Order: sequence, then C-alpha cells, then structure tokens
Amino acid sequence: MSAPSFEKPATAAAPVLEVEDLRVDLRTPRGTAHVVNGLSYTVGPGETVAVVGESGSGKSVSVLALLGLLPARTATVTGRALLQGEDLLTMAPERLRQVRGPGAGMVFQDPMTSLNPVLTVGRQLTEGLRAHGPVSKAAARARAVELLGEVGLPDPGRAVGRYPHELSGGMRQRVVIAMALANSPALLIADEATTALDVTVQAQILDLVERLQSEHGTGVIWITHDLGVVAGIADRVLVMYGGRCVEDGTVDDVLERPVHPYTRGLLGALPDLAADPDEDLATIAGTPPAPTDLPAGCVFWPRCPVRGDARCETEQPPLAVVGRGGAGLPHRAATWCAEREAS
Amino acid sequence: MTAPGEGAPDVLVSARGLEVHFPIRSGGALRRTTGALRAVDGVDLDVYRGETLGLVGESGCGKSTLGNALLRLVPPTGGTVTFDGLDVTGMGRRQLRELRRRAGMVFQDPFASLDPRRTVAQTVSEPLEVHGLHPGRQARVARVRELLELVGLDPAVAARYPHEFSGGQRQRVGIARALAGEPDFLVCDEAIASLDVSVQAQVLNLLRRLQRQLGLTLLFISHDLSAVRHVSDRIAVMYLGRVVEVGPAAAVAAAPQMPYTRALLSAVPLPHPELERSRQRIVLRGDVPSPSRVPSGCRFRTRCPDVFEPCPDVDPALQPVGSAPGHVAACHLHGVVGTPVDGSGSTPAASGPPGATASGVRGTG
Amino acid sequence: MTQLPTPGATPAAPPPAEPLPTAAPVRPRWRETLGLLARNPTAAVSAVVLVLIVLVAVFDETLAPDGPNEQDPSLQLQPPSWAHPFGTDEFGRDVFSRVILGAATSLRVGFLSVAFALVVGTLIGLLAGFYGTWVDDVLMRLMDVLFAFPAVLLAIAIVAIRGAGPANAILAIGIVYVPIFARVTRASVLGVREEVYVRASRSVGASDWRLITRHVLPNAAPPIIVQTSVSLAFAVLAEAALSFLGLGPRRPDPSWGLMLADGRGFIEQAWWYAVFPGLAIVVTVLCFNLLGDGLRDVLDPRQRTLMAGSGR
Repeated sequence: MSAPSFEKPATAAAPVLEVEDLRVDLRTPRGTAHVVNGLSYTVGPGETVAVVGESGSGKSVSVLALLGLLPARTATVTGRALLQGEDLLTMAPERLRQVRGPGAGMVFQDPMTSLNPVLTVGRQLTEGLRAHGPVSKAAARARAVELLGEVGLPDPGRAVGRYPHELSGGMRQRVVIAMALANSPALLIADEATTALDVTVQAQILDLVERLQSEHGTGVIWITHDLGVVAGIADRVLVMYGGRCVEDGTVDDVLERPVHPYTRGLLGALPDLAADPDEDLATIAGTPPAPTDLPAGCVFWPRCPVRGDARCETEQPPLAVVGRGGAGLPHRAATWCAEREAS
Repeated sequence: MTAPGEGAPDVLVSARGLEVHFPIRSGGALRRTTGALRAVDGVDLDVYRGETLGLVGESGCGKSTLGNALLRLVPPTGGTVTFDGLDVTGMGRRQLRELRRRAGMVFQDPFASLDPRRTVAQTVSEPLEVHGLHPGRQARVARVRELLELVGLDPAVAARYPHEFSGGQRQRVGIARALAGEPDFLVCDEAIASLDVSVQAQVLNLLRRLQRQLGLTLLFISHDLSAVRHVSDRIAVMYLGRVVEVGPAAAVAAAPQMPYTRALLSAVPLPHPELERSRQRIVLRGDVPSPSRVPSGCRFRTRCPDVFEPCPDVDPALQPVGSAPGHVAACHLHGVVGTPVDGSGSTPAASGPPGATASGVRGTG
Repeated sequence: MTQLPTPGATPAAPPPAEPLPTAAPVRPRWRETLGLLARNPTAAVSAVVLVLIVLVAVFDETLAPDGPNEQDPSLQLQPPSWAHPFGTDEFGRDVFSRVILGAATSLRVGFLSVAFALVVGTLIGLLAGFYGTWVDDVLMRLMDVLFAFPAVLLAIAIVAIRGAGPANAILAIGIVYVPIFARVTRASVLGVREEVYVRASRSVGASDWRLITRHVLPNAAPPIIVQTSVSLAFAVLAEAALSFLGLGPRRPDPSWGLMLADGRGFIEQAWWYAVFPGLAIVVTVLCFNLLGDGLRDVLDPRQRTLMAGSGR
C-alpha cells in the first residue's frame, strides 16, 4: 500500500465540483447538531457520484448546503466547494442564484416541491430559461417543447400547456428533470429523485438521466438510500454515516468488495432477489447516532459488530486508501479494521 | 410449511371474483355518480394456511385495497371472501368481531398507526379489552409484557408514548398489537416501506420468525420485490385491480410467465454493479392507465411489449403456466383463455400467439 | 387457539440493541400541556387571573364588604374612597361589593351556557364527523340554519318566548354557540377519523363507541378546548349584552351587564359606576381570549414538538 498517486483521479479533465472538508452544523433546541463532518469529494464531467446513507446520515444536508438552501439563521457551513473553480460557499447570494440553473440543477424526491401548481409546465420551463439569459418568448417556448420531448414526455407540443396536477408522478419528475437540465448545467444534483416512484417508472427515469448525462457530459450527484439504484447508475460511491464519509471508491469496489463494517452491514441487510431466502438477513443492531451527540472515535463503533481495534472507541479513523480500484481510482474507508485486513 | 405441494392445499382465506369499486361523484350538491374507480376488479386468490403469500404491484394497483377487503375493512362491492370456510362478506356483528381477532393487520407508517395519546401498553392491550381476553388487570399486564418480549421489545417500555420510539420500535409495537388476539392470519400492508434499510431487515427477520414460531398465515403486501421474494412462499402479482400471476416464489422470481411480471422484475435495481451493467431492462412504455378507465380485454395490453390480436378482445383468465405446479398467469401468450369482451362465457384457445410458442419467452432478452 | 410459546425458548431472537427511551420520566399529556403553558407567560398570567376571578365569584359573600342591596341614601354616587374603593351608585350601594357579587352571576351564565353548547355541539359535531353521509348532511344543515340567525335576534327571540332571567339567558347564549362547537368538532373529527391509528383500532375489532371515546375524541379535543376558552369570553360579553338590553338577570340582582347599563346613564357625573363593572368584563374576557390563544399554541402538535423537542 504505497501508491499516493491514487489520490488524484486518472481522468484528465478538470472536475466539475470539488468539495473539500465540508462541515455543516445546525442549531437545534437540543444543542448543535453536527450534521456533516468533513466531507471531501470531486465530481468529474460526465461522472456520477452516488452519495448513499440512511436517514439522518447527512447526505441530503450536504448537498443542500452546497447550493445555499439551508436556513441561514440556524446553519453554519464551512469548507470549500468549487463549482468549476468558483467557491459556492463564499459566493454572494445574487451570484449563487445565477449559478443555480446554468451551473447546477436540482431534482428532489417530490416533484411537486419544485413545480408551481398554478402555472403550466411550459410557463415554468420558459421562465427558467429566460431568467438566465436574453431569450425571446417564442424561442424559449420552442426550447421548452424540445426539452419536454428530450425527457420523453409524449406529445410535448401539447404537454407545455398542461398543469402539473394533470400529469402522473413519473411525468412530473420528467418535467422537473427538464427544468433542471434546461440551462445545460455542468452539475445535476438528484436527491432521492426516484424514491417515490414505482420501479418501472424508476427504470424509465434512470435510463433518461443516463442518456442525458452521456449526451451533455453533465456531472451528477445522486443521493439515495437504495444500493440497487447506486449499482445501476453510479461510477463512484460515497457511503455516509453520522455525517462522515465512511467509505468511498468505484461502484464495483464499494458494492462488491466493501471494507467498512457499516457498508458491509448495509449490503447484508438487503434482501436479494437472487439469494437463498432461507437465511435471515444480516442486521445492524441499534440506531444511528444523534447528530447532537456523536460518539468519540469511529462514528460507527457503538453498532459495530467487529470493533477490532483498541482505537475504535477513542480515535477517529482517517479515510485511508485500502485498495486500488478500477481506472486507478482509490478505494478508501474510514475504519481501524481495514488496516488489519490489508496488512 | 413452505410446501403446499401434496394434495389439495388447505385454504385459509379465499377470494372469488372480488370487486371493490369506489364511486366517482361529480362535484356540486347533487353528487351524481359519474363512474367507478375499479380498485379491485375481479380478483381470484387463495391464501394457504401457514404460508406467506407475497402480494406485489405498483402504486395504485389495488393491492392495499385487496388486503383491506379480505378483512372487510373496506366493504367489497362484488364477489365473495371466505375465511376458514366462513363467508366474510355476509358476516354479522359477532362473527365480524371474531374475524377481527383471528385476522390482524400491520400498517405501513409506524408513525401514523399508533395513537399518540395512548401508551404502548394501552395500544397493545386494546385487542385484549375488545375481545375480553386475559381478563383482569394483572393478566393483561402480564400478557402485554409477553407480547412485547415476543416482538423484541423491553417490557419496561410499556408505559411510554409512541413519540419516544424510533420507527423500527414503533413497528414492533404495531406488530405486537396485531398479535395480541392470537390471530391465525396477519396482513402486512407495506409494513417495511417507511423504514431504513437496516431496520427493514430487522422487521423482516422478526416477521419470518413469528410466522414460523406461531404458525401464522401471512399476506405480505409490498412494492419491494426483493423483500417479497425474501419472505414469501408464494408470490401474487397485481396489475390494475387484478391478480395477473401467482406461483411459488422461486418460480415467479426466476421464470415469470406474464410480460408485466417480467418487466417488473427486470426493473428491480440490484446491488451488483456488474449484473446491473449486463442486465437488459424491459422499460415499459407510458403510464399505468387510470383504474377508472380500464382497457378492454387484457388490462396490460396498452403497455405490453408482446401484445397481439386477441388481447383487446378477450379478458384473460388465470391458467396454468411454466413448469412449477401451482404457477398460474393471466396471459394469452399461453393460450387464449378467458371471457370475450362482447359476449360471455369462456372461450377455449381460439388462436395461438404469433411466432413464438406458448412458453412466452419472446424477444424480451 | 394457538398457544404462544414462551419468548425465552425462542430460537435466536436477537434483542435489538437499540437504545430504548430511558431516563426522562413518563409524563402524562396533561402534565406536559401544563408545563408548556407555564412557559407561555401571557397565557400563564391569564390563567392565574381567571382562577382569582373564579375564587372571587365562589367566595363573593365573604369577600364583599357590603350586601348587594345595602343602601345608604346619604352616599349616593360617591367617588371612590377608602370606604368604597369603586365608589357608590345612585342608591348609595357599594359598587365594589356589587362587582364582586356580580362576578358569580356573570360567570355562572358564561360557564353554564358554554357548557351547554360544548356538550350539545360536540356531540352533534362528533356524530356528523364520525358517521358522515346523511347523518352529517342532516345535522350540519340544521346547524347552518341555526348559524344563519343573527345571534342577538335568536337570543331575543328565546327570551321573548320564555321570559327574561338568568336561566333563559344561559339557554339563549348556549343555543347560539351550539353550531360553533358542532363545526369545530366536526372539522377536527374529520381529520382524526382518517388517521391510520383509528383504522388500526378498527382492524382489531374496536366498536364505534370505543373508537369515538378512546381515539377520536381525545385526539380531536385540542381545537374544542381552545374554542371553549374563546367562547367563555364571548359568553361573558353576551351575558353583559343581554343584561344591558334587559334580557338577562333582572334588577336588583347584581350583574356586570346590568351595572354597566345602569351606570351608563350617570357616566358624566359618576364615571366609576360604569367603568368598574366594565373593567371587570374587559379583564375577564381578555384573560379567556389570551388563555385560548396560549392553548392554541400549546396544543398544536407542531408547536409541541418545537417547544418540547420530543417529536422525531
């Protein structure tokens, strides 16, 4: 294990997004919640990075923080987040508004949170287009029809005149994706974007995102709790627990050769369509730590079935390289147990 | 009890031609009925004693309504349901109460299914009070303790209120309540859908253990095919108000015989990147039609990749398919059997499917 | 009957090592509510003042220095003094004593009329909301008809038919408030009726009676409690208004409304005659309203979560 060159991704192109030591504290009635605790990752052009974790792991907050979507009165965000070289965290609010859209589009779990129920789909799309550049009404409308066709809405010429409630959940999510992609952003952030959808509709949306991504070279951050979705869509995976990244690497490394006991537990807990159902599922005992009261040492140790090291309970393990992944990308894990295995 | 193989299986719950139609009323003072939402639309289904039957389908397919209708928690508008030989649809007050004791339900959202103003003990002992079981304060307290231990909770939590618990713990309380009357039959309606992955596994394990330990018959309703495959002996697939395929879990999961089941299975994301890359997904066209405008004939025909000429004209009946015994599907690819749309009565196979054989493995990769 | 095996003998039932709620003592809901109310100073002060007013009404005869109708013709319309802190009226009666003795009348009319409206209105709203369909249609249309009458006109009509007096004032005010309670209750019940825990109770065989008394009513209660507090304020005002119009308690019985009516004629010579009973009304009504607002905040589950930090 002596190859520091792993640290730099092999892809030559400049990353779309570089996040460095991102930390988010939220003030709550029960004290300060340390929701994100030192997160660093990069997203390259055309690359999909999946951020996985269970509820309370800080996965959603970590991206809301990037786009300044957390309440300023209660949230403290530190670190750096360079979107095409510009730091999102120190950006003036006016500039940040301009960046959302052309710079980074967002898709949330519930499409209705992004759609205005009293405006037609076309109106919402053209407004987004015209807000970020001088576009004539007619041109914007033509582009809206084109976008709706691109995301697979049947009869886009008529669909522009429809209201969100007239569309099914899957179709609404397509419209939201069209809105997010309207200004050809360099980065697309999807937060549990297919969680509320049926599997067959989810399959349609995943296909769509993959196709659009390869056409436009968009970098994608895909936040989900569903490891199956991750396997299908991600290039790289970042597993979050207790506001920290506990393991990251290529999708094959993390899902097929997981190192961190939490990642292993998560995968073991999944019922598998192909596996022998006669065995009980592996479970992770206990519940995730409250972000107001994180354990000292490794965040996972109170629930960890291994606890293979004296330092588990006292010293926080660094995110260390545990192996060489495909394309020379590092596979890293923040656990004291991994070193023992590697050596 | 995983093999209802030999002889005639012992049926505990049975539905025949079950229908639940909700009237669609126009607005305004007169509230004229303008149509019907056919949530459950002619379901034939047997649940064998001691088995776990998984019921899968996408949102709006009527699987939850079916589960409720089997227990008459939603009144059926047509067809019959029998429970242990008794006609559920015609039950009087007393019989219905006994049915409520013998059949329990576990709900989806553990945050909504427990009364926030009642303690765990009050919630779990409600069935005991309703049915006069374990009379006397002491006996009830003891029974509540026993039930809490059974679902893996510390009996000391009996005096606490739901808001003090996590989702998984609340779901255990919900299961304890459903088991209080010592039921034979348990309907789990999306019981793990709102839980985190690691907690889902805990609840799935618990349900399997309880099923074996108590000899329960389980109807496990879920949209999560992997979970259904994991817990079920048999799987029933629902589409737009109708059961379209039923069979042994392994057979349905490995060799689905109806194009919809195939599409559904192929859409399930699996946590294996290499498999995902090599897998050919069947992406269905369009959306599920509204249950108020069900297509004629086979209701899947508007999205089916294998549609051919009898599909709009003949409403397919369940027929034996595949190689596993007890595997049935409603699909003309296996021979045109069913009710013609314009007339009545069953037609024997009028024509074979084009091109392929009745095994139904055409062009879907 | 399936016999449940003893849990001790079960094969490998892994007890979840989940931290079960510990430490914090189990606090009944009403204790929690009181605790939260104490943290809302306005509502807490209002509650204390109201308790004082009720105590005054209960011990009125002990507290009042003079009897209600003790006259001293030599002391007509005297301004406030040490002997008569609220002055005297045109018959030389002590206004302070009469305000104290009037409290009982005013509050009794207020409480009893609201109690009547609460019982009848809640029952109607509960039946309409829980059963829906034609029961709902019939009952609520009836309430609409009642609601359509101007309140004062309705009260005057009732008093005109049955004669003036405290009992009829109670009935009149009570009937006016029935539709309000019915509507509030029905709206709240409609929400609770659809809760999953109500379906869950039905699924274990609970009867309608049980569902209503154990689940629906307790969970539908908060808005009704708030409405009660607010209605008490209005009822005290209404009693004053009816007395003022001569439709409530009759002279010479002490009542705030009557005193206000009588004092009005002397407002230029003897401001204290009308002002002190008026103040009593204002303070009581204000306190009921403020308490109602406080309860509204405290009983709102979202507020409860925010303030107590107990929801997750």
